[in-house]
This record gives sequence, C-alpha cells and structure tokens, in this order.
Amino acid sequence: MNNNLNLNFLGIDLNNPLLTASGCFGYGLEYKDYFNPNELGAVVLKGITLEPRNGNKGIRIAETPSGMLNCVGLENPGINEFKKLLPSIKKEISIPLVANINGSVLDDYVQLAKKIELIKEIDIVELNISCPNVKDGGMAFGSNPKMARHVTHEVRKVLSKPLIVKLSPNVTNIVEISKIVEEEGADAIALINTLLGISIDIKSKKPLLGNVMGGLSGPAIKPIALRMIYQVSQQVSIPILGMGGISSTNDAIEFFMAGATCISLGSSLFSNPTLPLEIKQGLEKYLNDNGIDCISSLIGLAHPDNGVSYRERIKL
Amino acid sequence: MFLEDVIVLENINISNNYFLLKVLTKKLCTNAKAGQFFMIKSNDNSRILRRPISLHNIDGNILEFYYEALGSGTYEISNLRPNDVINIHGSLGNGFSTTPINKNIVVIGGGIGIAPMKYLIKSLLPNNNITFIAGASDSHSIKIVERFNFPNVHNIITTLDGSTGITGNVIDALNPILEKNNIDLIYTCGPFKMMEAVARLSHKHNILCEISLEERMACGIKACVGCSIITKNGMKKVCYDGPVFNSLDIIEENIGGTNE
Ligand SMILES: Cc1cc2nc3c(=O)[nH]c(=O)nc-3n(C[C@H](O)[C@H](O)[C@H](O)COP(=O)(O)OP(=O)(O)OC[C@H]3O[C@@H](n4cnc5c(N)ncnc54)[C@H](O)[C@@H]3O)c2cc1C
Ligand SMILES: Cc1cc2nc3c(=O)[nH]c(=O)nc-3n(C[C@H](O)[C@H](O)[C@H](O)COP(=O)(O)O)c2cc1C
Ligand code: FES
Repeated sequence: MNNNLNLNFLGIDLNNPLLTASGCFGYGLEYKDYFNPNELGAVVLKGITLEPRNGNKGIRIAETPSGMLNCVGLENPGINEFKKLLPSIKKEISIPLVANINGSVLDDYVQLAKKIELIKEIDIVELNISCPNVKDGGMAFGSNPKMARHVTHEVRKVLSKPLIVKLSPNVTNIVEISKIVEEEGADAIALINTLLGISIDIKSKKPLLGNVMGGLSGPAIKPIALRMIYQVSQQVSIPILGMGGISSTNDAIEFFMAGATCISLGSSLFSNPTLPLEIKQGLEKYLNDNGIDCISSLIGLAHPDNGVSYRERIKL
Repeated sequence: MFLEDVIVLENINISNNYFLLKVLTKKLCTNAKAGQFFMIKSNDNSRILRRPISLHNIDGNILEFYYEALGSGTYEISNLRPNDVINIHGSLGNGFSTTPINKNIVVIGGGIGIAPMKYLIKSLLPNNNITFIAGASDSHSIKIVERFNFPNVHNIITTLDGSTGITGNVIDALNPILEKNNIDLIYTCGPFKMMEAVARLSHKHNILCEISLEERMACGIKACVGCSIITKNGMKKVCYDGPVFNSLDIIEENIGGTNE
C-alpha cells in the first residue's frame, strides 16, 4: 500500500494530508535543500497583504518552554511583488499552492481576495482573521463573531476558489465562530493560529518583544489546538486543517483522531527541517502496521461516535 | 547546507564562562566560509529553537566554536562531553568577503565577537597584510586569543580594566592605525555600540567596513522572517542576507538587535 496517504481536500486530490503552516515555510522554496516540497500535500505560503509591510521593529522571536513567541507582524512584499514570485515557485512546486491573505480593514481583505481570484497559480485561499501581531484588524476579525461573519461573507462573494478561514484560539467560544464562518460559506476551517503571550526581559525590566505581545506556537499549544479541533469538528460539516505544535508522527495521528482532515507543520520545521518526510514515513508505517487502508479513516476517531457522523458530514 | 549529527571531541573551558567546542564532522565544513554560522540543536526538546553560533575555526574535518555560556542553551552546550552527539545545521549566512588580495586589513573583534575572527584571519592571511585588534573588558574575556598563533599578524589587545594589553577599547587602538597607515578594509564583530564606533571611524577615513550582526533566529534559512532588519537597501534577513553587512547599509536607529 503506497498511496494510502492520498485524499481529497476541498475538491482537490492531495498526495497526502501534510501542509505547511503559513509563515513557517517562507514562499515554498526555502526548505528545498532539505526535502523536495512536492513531497507535501500542498504548500501554504507566507501571509500577504495588499501593500508591502515591514513588520514589527525590535526583537521578533522569543523562545519559551516548549514553544516560541513571534511578533513578525506580517512582513511581506505585498500582493504585487508576491505575484512576481509565483512563476519561479511554480517552476519547482507542482502540488497545490495556498495563499494566506490578511488585512487591517474589511476592504483590504475584499480587494486582496479579488486579486487572488485572478491568479491562476493559487489553488486555495486561507483567510487569516487571526493574526495577533498587527495593530488593527487581524485577530479582531477572528475574535468578534459579527466581524468574522462579515469578512467571510464579503470575501466569499468575490472568491470562487476554495476558501479556508483560519481562526484565532484567543476566544471564549471557538465553536460559535466556527459555525458562523461555515454558515457564510467557508469550505474549511484552519485551527489554530497562535495564542497571545508576552515575555519579559528581567535585565531591562521591559517586555522582550518589540511589539510587546507575540503569538505563542510550538508543542506548548498542542493540547489547546487538539481541544479546539475536537470541539469544532463535532459541530460543523466542513473539513478542518489542524495545526499547533505538531512535531512528530504521533502528534499528527492525534490531530487526525481529534478531527483534522489535513494538518499543517509550523514552528517544528525550524529545528527539524526534514520533519515532513519523517511524519510522512511515520504515517505510512502506522497505517500499514494497523491494517488501515486510508488516512481519512482516522479522522475524528476520538469522537464519542468514533467520528462516524463527522466523516459522513464531510463526505469521507 | 547540511544537517548533521556530529561527535564532540573536546569542550575546553577557556576561562570563566568562555568555551571552545571541537566537533568531528563529515560534510558540515564543506564550503563553509569565515563569518558564516551554524545552528546547534538542543538535546532537550523543550528548547525548540537552535542556537546560532559562528564558525570559529576549521581544522581538517574538525569544526570549532568559541562561545560564552549565557543562558540555558549555551549552558547545555557547555556541559557537552567528548563522544556526546549533537545535531548541527549549516553553514548558514553570507560570511565576510574573503577574496581581497594585497590589501591592508584591520580585523576587530570585541568580546565574544572575537569568535568569527580566527577563521577570517586564516582565510585572509595568505594574500593580505593583517592587523588584528581584540578588545574585551578584562583578561578572561580575551584569553582565547592566546590560541591565535598566526605568524605575520600584527596583534593588538585592549582591555577596559587594563589587566592585559592596552588599557582602553578597540577604538583607542584603531585611531592611531588609521592616522598612520593606508588601510583598505576593516572587518568587525562585537557589541553593536563598538561596531557602530568602528564603522563611523571607517566612514570618516573612507574605508570599506564589514560588520557582523546578531538577531534572534528561528529558522536560519529566511523562512520565518524573524531576524529581519531595516537597511538602506530595504528589509534584509540577518540569517541569509547577513550576518555580515557593509556598514553603510545599516541604519543605526532601526537595528532591533540584542546588542543595542
Ligand atoms: C549569527 C550569530 C552568530 C553568533 N555567534 C556566536 C558565537 O560564536 N559565540 C557565542 O557565544 N555566541 C554567538 N552568538 C550569540 C548566541 O547565539 C547566543 O548567545 C545564544 O543563542 C544564547 O542562547 P542561550 O540559550 O544561552 O540564551 P537564552 O537567552 O536563554 O536564549 C533564549 C533565546 O534567545 C536567543 N538569543 C539570546 N541571545 C541571543 C543573541 N545574542 N543573539 C541571537 N540570539 C540570541 C537564543 O538563541 C534563544 O532562542 C551568535 C548569534 C548570531 C545571531
Ligand atoms: C514565525 C511565524 C510566522 C507566522 N506567520 C503567519 C502568517 O503569516 N499567517 C498565518 O495565518 N499564520 C502565521 N503563523 C501561525 C502559524 O501558521 C500556525 O498557525 C501557528 O504557528 C501554530 O502552529 P505551530 O505550533 O505548528 O507553529 C506564523 C507562525 C510563526 C511561528
Ligand atoms: S531566522 Fe528565520 S528568516 Fe532569519
């Protein structure tokens, strides 16, 4: 059994359910000295905005126990420069490309979605309404149910490409927001973005990060990510792209069992650039060892009904 | 660029918190260049980021790092014993320009910034005339220089407390050299304020100056944008476009580094 990792996600056949987490894999080619990106299922590119952004000043990275804080602040060259990068990316990457789109105000998202709609190299759009590192917008959209509804609605109107809405874990009721974006036409939900945190430099007696607050990622947030995926997948009828601290095959299996259809690898790539290959082989071995034909039969296995109803609802 | 498990040969306590680590490599040194760095993985999974450490010296297939145990990661490295295995990623970054020929060069290392200068001198020495200024606060922080036994290099040591060499800082040593000689190139690594002063003096004398910057890093390969800084040529990644920059490209006010 060689092909038991392939699956259909948002109407697209993927070689496997392994994606990258936006912002952790550059624009797709940065890791090519370590593995062929076409070994993945799809590549999620670094977040983009309408206009170029320099990101935040000062220290942007802080290590924390089993995790890290970042306040990169969506540094990116803007959509026009991004477009120019695509041909060279496409030359080396034949698997689907996912654009991660960001904005400060509603109109930014809509304008950006309109532009992305016309870019043939982009197969899927991930609407990031959960960035904690930008002053206005970003996470505000993902933590306010009304704004989440509005932005998903307006983006859906101008976008026919498959739409993933990436949610913030910095909310009290993740199920409520998930149902809202589903109602407004999201084809999938990405869970989770980073959790807000700070770190203090005891020498200067001031916050370490240039932007004071940063987003926590890495193994430290894995239990929270799993919990949210477990809760949301029991209440929605669309697939979930799961992420948050995945650093091993066993982590990946937990995410599928919690209810993720695909997973994204993020911060763990930094210290272990060949992690995708490791997990891919690990999953193949797990399926073979357990006599499981197909990765999608793991989805939601941890649910009280073993995921039967969820897999039916997402038509797997 | 390689990811390699290497075997620790020696981890010598040079003085106080300063150590010299020697590891046996297979491919890691291939194409490695002075001024480049490596990212050392912790054997403790709770430290999820690798630590960037400069290439100090290459001796055949032995790779050497000179480092200061400051925090949890570098303390862990200081506890490594012969035959321990660590995973190293590199070589990374651009490195210093090592192609000049027949030039009068001043190499200036301050404190732990002395680390990349050994291999830099080794690379430049056959074709150039080199003065090496090593500065630090006291004799402990400069002890490593005793192992720099290069013939034909003019060595100047400065310490702030005067415990060895000239009492003062590297600028006190650099000033008279620039007044009396025709210097073509200056290379420096050390505390940002020191490099800033060196750069200003170089600019005044119209001398090309290369400085090596430090930033917090996650990926080391321009994928996370964590180490980005504003330069006169736009946003640059210290891990990839650097760590070595032409001093003229650096806009002082905006360096967000740990050396401020
Ligand atoms: C390109 C480059 C080359 C370097 N070369 C050397 C060298 O040859 N010898 C040497 O002793 N040190 C060197 N440093 C500094 C060294 O990386 C830090 O001292 C080390 O990362 C501190 O780790 P820690 O766990 O001991 O400290 P902690 O403060 O516990 O580290 C916490 C986090 O902050 C990061 N961090 C802390 N201080 C620095 C710093 N000054 N620069 C970058 N990241 C930092 C760590 O990597 C880690 O992610 C270099 C840094 C860079 C960027
Ligand atoms: C340095 C860094 C940059 C990130 N940039 C983005 C981004 O541009 N857009 C986005 O939606 N998420 C971004 N994220 C969040 C990740 O995609 C992911 O949701 C989060 O890190 C959790 O996964 P992990 O623990 O595996 O890293 C970023 C994370 C990190 C660490
Ligand atoms: S450390 Fe990730 S871009 Fe430089």
